[in-house]
Amino acid sequence: MSDLAALVVQQTLNGVYLGCLYVMVALGLTLIYGVLNQINFAHADFVTVGAFAAFFTATRLATRVLGLPEAGGYLLSLVVALGVGALLGLAVNAAVFAPLRRGDELRPLIATIGVSVLLENFQLWLFGPIPYQFDSPFSRETIRIGRIFFTLQSVLVVAVSAASIAALYAFMRFTFLGKALRAVAQDRETAGLMGINPNLLIGLTIVIASALAGVAGALLGPVLVLTPFAGATVVVKAFAIVIIGGFGNVQGTILAGILVGVIEAFTVQYLGSGLIDLVVFVLLLAMLVVRPTGLIAERKEENV
Amino acid sequence: MIAILAVAALPWLITTPYWRGILVVCAMNVLLALSLNLVLGYTGQLNLGQSAFFGIGAYVSTILVKTYGWNFWLAAAAAVGAAGLLGLALAAFAVRLRGHYLAIASLGFAVITYQVLINWEKVTEGVRGIYGIVPPVRGTLALFYVVAGIAVVVYVLMDNLVRSPVGDTLRSVREDEISAASLGVNAAVWKAFAFGICAGIAGLAGCFYPGFVGTLVPDAFNIVESFTMMAMVIVGGMGTMIGPVIGAIVLTFLPELLRGFGESRLMIYGLALTLVVLFMPGGMVQAWLAVKARWSS
Amino acid sequence: MIRAQGLSKSFGGVRAVQDISLSVPEKSIFALIGPNGAGKSTLLNLLSGVYQPDSGDLVFENKKLNGVPAYARVRLGIARTFQKIRLFKQLTLLENVRAGFHIHQDAPFWEYLLRGNTGRFHKEALELLAFVGLAGRAHERAGALPYGQQRMLEIARALATRPRLFMLDEPAAGLNAAEMEFLLGLLEQMRSRGITVLVVEHNMDLVMNVAQRVFVMDHGVALFEGAPREVQANPAVISAYLGGEFAAQG
Repeated sequence: MSDLAALVVQQTLNGVYLGCLYVMVALGLTLIYGVLNQINFAHADFVTVGAFAAFFTATRLATRVLGLPEAGGYLLSLVVALGVGALLGLAVNAAVFAPLRRGDELRPLIATIGVSVLLENFQLWLFGPIPYQFDSPFSRETIRIGRIFFTLQSVLVVAVSAASIAALYAFMRFTFLGKALRAVAQDRETAGLMGINPNLLIGLTIVIASALAGVAGALLGPVLVLTPFAGATVVVKAFAIVIIGGFGNVQGTILAGILVGVIEAFTVQYLGSGLIDLVVFVLLLAMLVVRPTGLIAERKEENV
Repeated sequence: MIAILAVAALPWLITTPYWRGILVVCAMNVLLALSLNLVLGYTGQLNLGQSAFFGIGAYVSTILVKTYGWNFWLAAAAAVGAAGLLGLALAAFAVRLRGHYLAIASLGFAVITYQVLINWEKVTEGVRGIYGIVPPVRGTLALFYVVAGIAVVVYVLMDNLVRSPVGDTLRSVREDEISAASLGVNAAVWKAFAFGICAGIAGLAGCFYPGFVGTLVPDAFNIVESFTMMAMVIVGGMGTMIGPVIGAIVLTFLPELLRGFGESRLMIYGLALTLVVLFMPGGMVQAWLAVKARWSS
Repeated sequence: MIRAQGLSKSFGGVRAVQDISLSVPEKSIFALIGPNGAGKSTLLNLLSGVYQPDSGDLVFENKKLNGVPAYARVRLGIARTFQKIRLFKQLTLLENVRAGFHIHQDAPFWEYLLRGNTGRFHKEALELLAFVGLAGRAHERAGALPYGQQRMLEIARALATRPRLFMLDEPAAGLNAAEMEFLLGLLEQMRSRGITVLVVEHNMDLVMNVAQRVFVMDHGVALFEGAPREVQANPAVISAYLGGEFAAQG
C-alpha cells in the first residue's frame, strides 16, 4: 500500500471515528429540534456534564469505591453518563421547555442560552478551570492492520455510536412510542387529537437526546481538554452538523457528522488544528446561504 | 435631564480607582446593550454576533493608532465604519434566515471573527496580545466622561429614532415581515440598517476598551460576550429604551456587590437570563410597570 | 385597473393557478370566488406580489408587475389583507395603523434622528380607526382585540397606505352577522371614495350584495365571469359548488 493511500485511509478512518463522536452529540440536538422545533443551546453543556460524570465515575467511584478494573470502570462511566444526561434533560425540560411550550420561538431559545451559561459557570465554580486528565484504558490498546493504526477506544466509540443509532432507529420504527414520537414531530396538534400525549413524548425525546449527549460526553472525555467549557468547543461543530444535515433529519445528521469528522481529520493533517473551527464554520455559513434546509431537504413552507 | 446630572456626578461620589474603573465598564456595557437592543428588541433579529463587532472596533482602532500612527478619533471613525460594514455583511444572512437559523449563523459569524483575530497573527498578534495601549484621554475619570457622554448621545439619538416612523417600521419588521411588506416595508433594507447601526455602535464601544485595559487580547471578544450583552438587554427589558440601560447597570454592578461568590459573574448572568425569560420576559421594565400598576390601584 | 394574462403558478407538482386571465374594472367591487382549494388565495398572492408567477403577465395601470416585489407594489397603490390575520399583535391599535403610513412618511432621515419627528399622520390614523369602528381604543394592544375587530384593524392599517386597489382575502371569515353588515358597508364606502376593491370570498352573501362583477375559479382554472345574477344561474358554477351555498340561495 502506497504512502499516500495509507495516509488517506488512515485519515478517513480517523475522520469516521471523530465523526461518530460528533454524531452522538448532534443527534440529540436534531431530535429535540424535530419534535420541538427548538434548539437547545445548552446541549453542549449536557455533553460536558456527561464527561465530568463519567470522569468521576471512572476515576473515583469505579476504581476506588467499587474496586472494578479500569476497563470496567470506563464502561460503567458510560452508563452513568447516560443516566446523568437523562436526568439533566428531564430537569431542564421540566424547568424550561415545558413552561415555555406556547408562545413565540425566541423565548425558549434565549432560555436555553441562559441555561447554557449557567451550567458552564456552575461547573466552573465546582470544578475550576484547570483541565482534568481523563484517560480511557482503551486508548492505550492499539490495533494494527497493515499500515493503518487505530486504538481500541476508537473501535469502542464507533461501536457505541453504531449501537445507539441502531437502537434509536429500531425504537422509532418498531415500537409504539417511537411511532408516536414521529407523529408528534410531524404534526403536534393532530397527534394530540389522536390520543397521544405530546408533552409526555416531547419530554421523552428530550430525555433520550440528553442521554445521548451524556454518553457522548463520556466518549469525548479522553479526547477533549476536559474543562467546564469542553462542550462549547464541540457545540460549534454540532450545530454545523445539524444544519448541514438538516434540522430534525436524523439520516442527514449522521451523514453530515461523518463528513465533518472526515473534514476535520484532513484539515488537522494539512492545516493544523487551530483552523478547524474556522473551516467548519465557513462551511456552515456557506451551507446556510446555499441550502438552508440541509443536504437532505426538509419539508415546511410558510402558508400565507 | 436629572439622570444626566446624576451620571455626571457619580464619579465624584465614587472615588476609589477600582470602582471608577467599574463605572467605565458600565458605560461601555450600556453602549453595547443599547446597540444590541436596536437589532434584537426593536427589529426582532436574534443577533449573537455582537462580540465580533466589539472586537473589530477594538482591533481596527488599536492597530491604526499603534502601527500606523493615526489619530485616535480618526482611527475610531474608521473602526466604526469597519464594524458597520461587517454588520451589513451579517445582515445579508439575516435577510434570508429567521429565528434559530439566524442565531446560529450570527454565532458562526462571531466564532469565525474570533478565530481570525486569534490566527491572523501578522496583524493582530494573536493570543500574545498587543501591549502598552494608551487611552485617548488620560485618567479613568476623563475616560468615564467620554464613554458615558457617548452613551448618553447614543441614547438620545436612538430614542428619537424609535419614537419616529423609523421605529414603527422596525417594529413592523419584528412583528410580522410579511404583513410589513404588504404595507410597503422593504424588510431587507431595514434589517441591514439595524444591523449596520448596531454593529457600528458596538465597534465604537470597542474603540475605548483596549485603552481602558491597556492590553488587547482576542479572548475578550469570544462569544461569551455576545451572551453577556444579550443577558443585559433581556434582563433589563427588551424592546424598550431604558431596559438595556438598566440591565447593563444591574449586571455590571451586581456581580461586584456579590463578591463573596468569587468568579461567578457569568453564572449570575446565566441564572438571571434564564429566570427572566421564564418568569418575566419583559425584564425589569415589565416588573417595574407591574409594581407601578399595583401601587396605583 | 389590474389585468392578468395567462397567469400560472405551481407548487411542486400542484398546479395551483393555471392560465388565469382577468381584468378588474376601475372603481368597482370585484369578487373572486370558488370552492375550497380553488386557488383564489394563490391568485391574490400573485396579484399582491407574495408569489411571482411561473408564466403570464400582470399589468397594473399600464405598469408591468412581473418581477416587482410585494413591498414595491404598495407604492404603486396596491394594498391587501390576509386570510389569516397578520396584525402586529404586540403593538397598540394606533401603532398598527401608524405603521401603515410607512410609504407616506416623507421627512428627511436626519429629522427623525435629531429632531424627534414622530410623523404627521397621528390624526389620520385616529380617523381610520374611527372609520372601521374602533374609535377610542387607540392605545389597546392589538392582540387583545376580539377576532372581528382584529379584522377591522387590519383593514384600517391597510387603508393607511392610501391604496387605489384594495384586495381582501376572505374578510368575512369568522365574522358574525352584525360584523358582516358593517364590513359590507365599509366596502361600499371604499368604492364610493374611488377605491377599486377586489374581494376573495367563500361567502355568497357578501358577494351577491355588493359586487359588480364576479370571477369564479375552481381547481386553479377560470370557470365563469359575469354579473352576480348571471353567476348564480350558471350551471357550471352550480355544479362546482354542488350542495353548497349556491343551492341555498336559489
